[in-house]
Amino acid sequence: MSVEAKPTGPKQMNLAPAPDPRGNPAYPEPVLGNPVSTLMESGVGNCFPGLEFDVRQLDVRFFPGLVFEFLGVTPAGPDGTQGARLVYSDPAGDPIIADHFTADGPQWITDLKKQFAGPEGSALGDGTWYLHFVEQDGKRIMMYDYALYQNAAGLTPYEGETVWWIIRLIEPDKPLTIALTQRAADGSPSGVPVVLTGRRRQFLNDEGMIDPVYHPGELTSSMCSPWTHDFRDCACHYWASNHPDVVLGEVDDPQQQLDNRTDENDAAQAVTFIDWMRRRHEPLKDVSAQTTLPKARPDRYDPYEINLHWQQLDFVLQGQEAEATPPVPQMLKLIKYETLEKMVADLSEKLAGMELTLAMEYLYAYFSLREPDEVTAEEETKWPGLREDLHAARQLILSVALSEMTHLRWVNQTLWLIHKAYPRLGPYKPCLTAAKTISEPDPATPDIEKTRDRRLCRATQVVLQGFVDVERPDGPLDTEYVNLVGLLRESKEPFPEGLYQLAVRIDSDGMQHYQKFRDVMRFLAPYAEQEALYLRPIKEGNATSPEVKPALDQIRTALDGLAEAYAIEAELGDMPKANAKIKEARDAMHRLNDIALGLARKNIGVPFFAVFE
Amino acid sequence: MTSVFPKPESRPSALAHVAGDVLLMADTAAIFGLSEADARRLRHALQTGDTAARAELARLRLDTPMQARPPRVTVHPVRALALTVSQTCNLACGYCYAAGGSFGGADTRMNWDVAKRAIDQLIVGTVPGGGVKIAFMGGEPMVVRDLIRKSVAYANERGAARAVQVGYSLTTNGTLITPEDAAFFARHRFAVTVSLDGGREVNDRLRPDKAGKGSFDRVAHRIASLLKQRERVQLSARVTVTPLNLDVRRVVEDIGALGFTSVGVAPMISSPTGKGALVGEDFAMLLDAMKACGDAWFDAVSGGGDHAFANLATVLGELHRGQPRSHGCGAARDYLAVDADGAYSACHRFVKDPLGAMGTLESGPDDEARGAFLDARTVERQSPCQTCWARRLCGGGCHQEVLHAGRPACDFVRGWLDYGLRTYKRMQVARPDWFDAHS
Repeated sequence: MSVEAKPTGPKQMNLAPAPDPRGNPAYPEPVLGNPVSTLMESGVGNCFPGLEFDVRQLDVRFFPGLVFEFLGVTPAGPDGTQGARLVYSDPAGDPIIADHFTADGPQWITDLKKQFAGPEGSALGDGTWYLHFVEQDGKRIMMYDYALYQNAAGLTPYEGETVWWIIRLIEPDKPLTIALTQRAADGSPSGVPVVLTGRRRQFLNDEGMIDPVYHPGELTSSMCSPWTHDFRDCACHYWASNHPDVVLGEVDDPQQQLDNRTDENDAAQAVTFIDWMRRRHEPLKDVSAQTTLPKARPDRYDPYEINLHWQQLDFVLQGQEAEATPPVPQMLKLIKYETLEKMVADLSEKLAGMELTLAMEYLYAYFSLREPDEVTAEEETKWPGLREDLHAARQLILSVALSEMTHLRWVNQTLWLIHKAYPRLGPYKPCLTAAKTISEPDPATPDIEKTRDRRLCRATQVVLQGFVDVERPDGPLDTEYVNLVGLLRESKEPFPEGLYQLAVRIDSDGMQHYQKFRDVMRFLAPYAEQEALYLRPIKEGNATSPEVKPALDQIRTALDGLAEAYAIEAELGDMPKANAKIKEARDAMHRLNDIALGLARKNIGVPFFAVFE
Repeated sequence: MTSVFPKPESRPSALAHVAGDVLLMADTAAIFGLSEADARRLRHALQTGDTAARAELARLRLDTPMQARPPRVTVHPVRALALTVSQTCNLACGYCYAAGGSFGGADTRMNWDVAKRAIDQLIVGTVPGGGVKIAFMGGEPMVVRDLIRKSVAYANERGAARAVQVGYSLTTNGTLITPEDAAFFARHRFAVTVSLDGGREVNDRLRPDKAGKGSFDRVAHRIASLLKQRERVQLSARVTVTPLNLDVRRVVEDIGALGFTSVGVAPMISSPTGKGALVGEDFAMLLDAMKACGDAWFDAVSGGGDHAFANLATVLGELHRGQPRSHGCGAARDYLAVDADGAYSACHRFVKDPLGAMGTLESGPDDEARGAFLDARTVERQSPCQTCWARRLCGGGCHQEVLHAGRPACDFVRGWLDYGLRTYKRMQVARPDWFDAHS
């Protein structure tokens, strides 16, 4: 019932809206700027720690109430100003002192406040002061180099970086004494030092929050920006904002772009990592990024080119370069589960088992690879790089196998959360039985699901291709999770908190698995004609033989431990016991690793699936 | 003073109200400009009753809604919390709702554990990205300055960790503020309200300390440091009007002369001692005094100047926003108070009052009690509010006053809103730009 004036009626003067049927409208408040909870690790665009901000900026306020700057030696040589120079003393502007100063607050703050209010504080208000010494645990470090010239001791101040290293060694939570002095023209201390006792600032509080004394922009104030030419070569990696080293390219022809943003003709196009800083005027679009900086350098913008071309660096959305706002990617053939029961059945009867089966197939392939140490000197001469390639391939396959084990847990966790929220589904039962079959994609008839029996095979190129196919984006495994993610996102059901995030995590891991197996194939391809170079001639062992049985026993121990632990966790029961059981399972897996390696050296493979037969 | 309403069959309509040539729709708070003739006809129709009023509104092509039903009350998370940090005060104002700050009990101060738990509950109950307000109240809160500082440091930290923005306010008698306090308030962007009752002579009579000595000079001296921080402290004065300081214009201008740019007045209706409350004819005198002060405000502001009188600025802003309400304030809905013993109440005026008990820190805010309180207190369930055109602007008044003193001031409230509506029209003509900044 809105009160709108009809064309000829009187004019409404105020902003009264149509009445709110709820009576008690809740007014959401907007958040301006970065949320106050932004953590140091919030920026994850690159793997260089320190890229988000300059850690040295933390230390300029290492002592509460004081702000230093670290001055280096000028190109003209030491001028007596090098070291840690006091920029200003501002105890009132420091929340540690200003806000935590209470009658029942920490004594050291009360004491420090008295010092700032006393002669020490007033002395610092005048003239130029430098850090003279720091003292902690009875150890005092003077900020000078001692030199003897003609029987006289000369004190040359350390340069800023050295002083900074010393300050980095100071521990928080312990009494700290520092002294400041003024200086003569040659940099030697003059006058009476001011001595202050307190503690080093806690840069992060217990919640991981950066101390509020730092003003916005302060921690990044020393960094370079893309339009400065050292953006490319900056040795310290202190860019003001992170930039990606490698990105996924755009699909050239939008007509060829599939729903998952890969290319119709070349699924690799959008999953090949390319160098973000490559020269745009050269046809480097499809060229894989180089693995080392020296190799990548010639194809990247020169330092001075950056000044001219930084606008050409693409926007990167979800890891992929974008010229324009991409259309919202469509969900892959989203199969809506008709009922919750069907979804739970799919998860427990199919997905959990598939994760376990895959983990075991990958482990078998892993043990089929030779160990780098087994490469003989002769082979090494003929095949330089074989040792490294084996090392990398083993590492990658093992990491995917471990990741599948993590997924197994997550699928179980998803299940117990759902069971807990919907009692009508009955009690949760741990799903720790390997699936007998694996869904297999068939590009010719993508809509018809095909399966193959589980099998333990050596890591030949054909087998690796099978691994690539099963993990490929829009492959059978990915599709399952995409469906789960889609259901959780779009459902109106109040699913338990955290479920959606779990599903998204599993689903996004799949992309990595795909890429890793592609890499393994690439590393091992040169040896494909001579399998003995990289593969052991292993065969599945006899499950009942005394050699093999201990391996299977460890697997049983691990699965039993997990089953017990999951059941406890599902009920939010005795968590210490659950943790102990998880640890048992983990220890069993470590023992299995040792046993299986021993068997592999004798060319015996562990018949993993015998555990379920 | 009781309002006497005519019998139902001859009752004037409460569907709308005409003030001068301005029409207010009672349920939606929409405001329309009328021609003089239309205004006259509609006023007459409203006097006659609902049927005539509906016909006349229809002739004006205005929808005439049915009177709103009581809304379904839903309880939201608490968004503002008063910490009654000190149930003691260094002044001894005769009319104080807190009876000398102690709410009728022994002098108590909140301990840190209570404050900490209250802050925890407030912040944990707020969705990340949201905002909450913490109000330090008393007694005189500055008696426990350390607790306030500690609370702010803690709330900032907890709020930051949960991405909850925390705002602060404080109501004080001003006699204990130091320059260091002022800097602290500025740093944390406090809204500080200083209670003052007028110039020196008036104030000292109404607000003596426990020895009977006046407090004006001390406040004037103490708030100088606050005034210096005006850029960062939202500073206002609040006046309690009793029969002794009814000259609102003089009171507001005397306090304005100290440097306050915002001075609000509130009539004393319910006093625990019975001392100082306004009665009977006092309200008619108060209304005249408020209008006189309002005229002074209008003259100053319409001429491009400033005037400290906050009540009129508030009314005009609210009329312009046009948000009809079902409760007079956010008490129990968005706002609760915690006392030194860790008990929640509907607001700071209900501390230690069983009528407004809302749970304890032990068990958290009692949402059932909040829901029941709000449901019972909606203006749509109040009598005689349903027959009053001002119901959705006033919301039924202050819960604490109504529960303890009834509604002796309804004619005053209607008179003030009628004046507000007329002034709204004048302001729309004289300074339409003013509303951009004040709504």
